[in-house]
Amino acid sequence: MLYELQDVAVCRGDRTILDIKELVITSESVYSLVGPNGAGKTTLLNVLAFLLHPDRGQLFYKGAAVKGSSKEHHRLRQRVVLVDQYPILFTGPVWKNIDFALKIRKIPAAQRKQRTNEVLERVGMQEFANAEAHTLSGGETKRIALARALAIDPEILLCDEPTANVDAENQERILDILSYCNKKQQTSLIFATHYLSQAQRLADQSIVLQNGSLAEGGNDNIFSIVQVAAPQGEMRVTLGPGLVLKMLDPPISSAYPPKRVQIDPGHVALSNTSGTANPDTVRWKGRLLKIEVEGGGVRATVDCGVRIDALLSSEQYRQESFLLGASVYVNIPLGGCVFS
Amino acid sequence: MDLLLDSLYSAILLVVGLDAELLNIVGVSLTVSLGATCIASCFGLPCAFLISFKSFPGKPFLITILNTLLAMPTVVIGLIVYSFISRRGILGPLELLYTQKAIIIGQVILIFPVITTLTIAAISRIDKRYRQTALTLGASEMQVVGVVFREARYGIVAAIIAAFGRVIAEVGISMMLGGNAKGFTRTMTTAMALEYDKGEFVLAVALGGVLMSMAFLINMLFHFFQGRGDQYAV
Repeated sequence: MLYELQDVAVCRGDRTILDIKELVITSESVYSLVGPNGAGKTTLLNVLAFLLHPDRGQLFYKGAAVKGSSKEHHRLRQRVVLVDQYPILFTGPVWKNIDFALKIRKIPAAQRKQRTNEVLERVGMQEFANAEAHTLSGGETKRIALARALAIDPEILLCDEPTANVDAENQERILDILSYCNKKQQTSLIFATHYLSQAQRLADQSIVLQNGSLAEGGNDNIFSIVQVAAPQGEMRVTLGPGLVLKMLDPPISSAYPPKRVQIDPGHVALSNTSGTANPDTVRWKGRLLKIEVEGGGVRATVDCGVRIDALLSSEQYRQESFLLGASVYVNIPLGGCVFS
Repeated sequence: MDLLLDSLYSAILLVVGLDAELLNIVGVSLTVSLGATCIASCFGLPCAFLISFKSFPGKPFLITILNTLLAMPTVVIGLIVYSFISRRGILGPLELLYTQKAIIIGQVILIFPVITTLTIAAISRIDKRYRQTALTLGASEMQVVGVVFREARYGIVAAIIAAFGRVIAEVGISMMLGGNAKGFTRTMTTAMALEYDKGEFVLAVALGGVLMSMAFLINMLFHFFQGRGDQYAV
């Protein structure tokens, strides 16, 4: 486990801009952070990068509580790097920007030079080594900022909108670099994005934020709808990356798209295997987070990117032998969804 | 008009002939002004970084006070320092009055707010992301200061040059605390005031020419560095 956030809040004056009851982020995974503007993605990344200490609650890094002293933050920032949405390069040549992070780690000059060349080659910018940093384009600046972060081989790479405001070619390059650093360098990756397709392509798991909080159904299973689309006669209601309710005979109109959907926990079924496809049922894969006895049955909470509750009978629970933390399939009958 | 032209001609001869008295006065002026600028920079720059980087109660009030001190008349500073270093003052036993040290003390007080406020302004013009980027790359607080100093260096040099320009041209502090003693505390401005009182315009005009040349050079440097700073500010 990398991070654990318990009742973490960040305030600006009277306004709470981030309020997370509970969040666990595990190592060597790729997490996407999705949500609309103002959802708290950048604030959460700043907290995870130890640039911002929560005003309330407790942040744990690798099981140890983060107290928030400047000395402790400095120590932790040696392992975690955040690449800003609009990264800035220091005045001077490109190579000096990459050299900076290595130099403050007291790496010998020869090794620094070798490492600088390696990462510049990795991001396809080796011919820009002596170029003045301020003369680079937006896409080139992002690639150099990524190279600068990769040079120090961080445990965790945090990226805020890594492909925002860059052309399609640079977007592809950046996604390749991110994928490489996770798979080859075993760097855990957490990135904020507006593009659900990118989140699905790169991320193992998604964290969906709405108004500074995790988008979770709670006991009522009420979710905010991120997107409504109607391609080729069917209706697709998106709650998050990979979390799509596909309907052939939708009870709603795309002309008046709904904002929320309530999924009755009593209709939600869980299974250990994917089973056969059914056009009237949507199937999402998730991780079993919590099991509580409720009434004569069991309430199970599954993290599919959003947290969804299912009410199971004691019999079903015993038959399937669900394990906490294991992968499960959530089966949602479309008839159990109420749109508003 | 003839008087001015005659004085100007004689003054040029003094400058070209490297007149000993003229050189001595220019030397004293440069010594005290450079000394005051160096000392004020040693105090003013760290203060500017502290004020810029730290949040504390009363910070806006402190900046307002520093801005107010920019308009402090030199004679007021002269009076205050005089009250401390005169024979009856608490620093009287140190016998600082009418020495170059006394002028330097007064001038440091004069330009400390200049260096501090202009440096704060230079730092505030630098994009906040420089600081955040340095931090996330693992830099310590001092290394972050180094990064910001580097990015704001043109504005900071411009602040120091502006402060030097202020002290080299001031007369009140030098007269009240230095006493205008020939060969010891006679600076360009106090010498010009004396020569005017005596009706001797030649040396005054020569010193005026040197001072104006210096002021021109300082302004050129100031605009050069200010321009570079603007060029790199994001």
